[in-house]
Amino acid sequence: MEKHSEIEVSRWVEERLAAIRPPADWQPDTIIGLARLRKRRGGESGRGRGRIWATAAATAICLGLMVFPAPRAAAQRFCMACLMAAQNLAAGGATRLALKPERSRQRAPDFTLNDAAGKSVQLSGFKGKVVLLNFWATWCGGCRIEIPWLIEFQQTYGDRGLVVLGVSLDAEGWQVVKPFISDKKITYRVMIGTDEMAARYGADQSLPVSLLIDKSGRIAATHVGLPGKNEYRAEIESLLSTKMAASGAD
Amino acid sequence: MKPIDARFDLEAIFRAQYERMARVIASVVRDPGRAEELAVEVFLKLWRNRQAQEGNIEGWLYRAAVRVGLDELRRQTRQSRYERLLGFVRGVPTPEEIHVATEEQDRIHRVLNSVAPRQAELLVLRSHGLTYSEVAFALDLHPASVGTLLGRAQQAFRKEYVKRYGEA
Repeated sequence: MEKHSEIEVSRWVEERLAAIRPPADWQPDTIIGLARLRKRRGGESGRGRGRIWATAAATAICLGLMVFPAPRAAAQRFCMACLMAAQNLAAGGATRLALKPERSRQRAPDFTLNDAAGKSVQLSGFKGKVVLLNFWATWCGGCRIEIPWLIEFQQTYGDRGLVVLGVSLDAEGWQVVKPFISDKKITYRVMIGTDEMAARYGADQSLPVSLLIDKSGRIAATHVGLPGKNEYRAEIESLLSTKMAASGAD
Repeated sequence: MKPIDARFDLEAIFRAQYERMARVIASVVRDPGRAEELAVEVFLKLWRNRQAQEGNIEGWLYRAAVRVGLDELRRQTRQSRYERLLGFVRGVPTPEEIHVATEEQDRIHRVLNSVAPRQAELLVLRSHGLTYSEVAFALDLHPASVGTLLGRAQQAFRKEYVKRYGEA
């Protein structure tokens, strides 16, 4: 074969390979792809149900063993462990608190935005309350899943001092957000955020992003993506039952 | 190429990366519909692989996508070889297949199938505009060696192409 310079070969190969690139007007359908992904994930999560049945079977065996005196104590302990594991699995996995230790919590950046009714909402005005600050958008699948949870949390814990605030990052603004609020019957306060504000809270890469802000106005937990409902609930309860730091902040 | 996120959110990653991964696969798989199915499989693999979720996710996705695509190309090539051997007449190709399977594309696919898998991965990723450092991230290579390896892969590709189809 004739000897060619590296650059010539490189150009020649690149020209050939350009022919296999899909045409620019071919658009893979992300919505169909996402539906496929959810279906497959849902199917595989069915394995969790199998684990629940296996744990229940192990519990039944232990209960049987407890009839005999010798292995009774060990069986009793194992039985309790199985019951706890089954409870956790049924609740969608282990409940882990992602709360930061009080000393390492940073003050949440303050903001003032108008809610859907046009009333001003300032974060620093909620001192003494626990704030669940949720960054979301109407097009975000994970956000749609957790919105009913947030409504429930506001109803359940509102009297004990929880304030849920939703900050929408929809580029179209109130035009798409207001119909969404009435469609989903959102009862907590919703504002429209800016990219700059989202970046300050680390919500500029993906959605949803939720922050739990303690009674002293410090960020106690940040959830990027969809956390478990039980995880949320446990963290809210923990923050509500904690007294406000004496210094007030930092 | 930066890590996509500190915490793993599959759907956000899917929305950001699906189109790119589907295009990488579609460049080596003849049927675009099949390429889309395989792209979803890549994200499911990511979902199952906790270790991959903690590293450079975009690089991992590119590597998985190009490998899944080349595996499918090999499978398709084997299948069509057996079909020819058995004299099996394939069903009527879909309009998409007719559109995609031009003679030149078939040639390139056959040549990619013949060179070393690592070289094929390098060539395909580079043809999608990845920089040297992005290719290095995706294929676990030292960035300084990408240029040399790519040069060898291009030489191997050209040699195989010319051997089969002559200078074009």
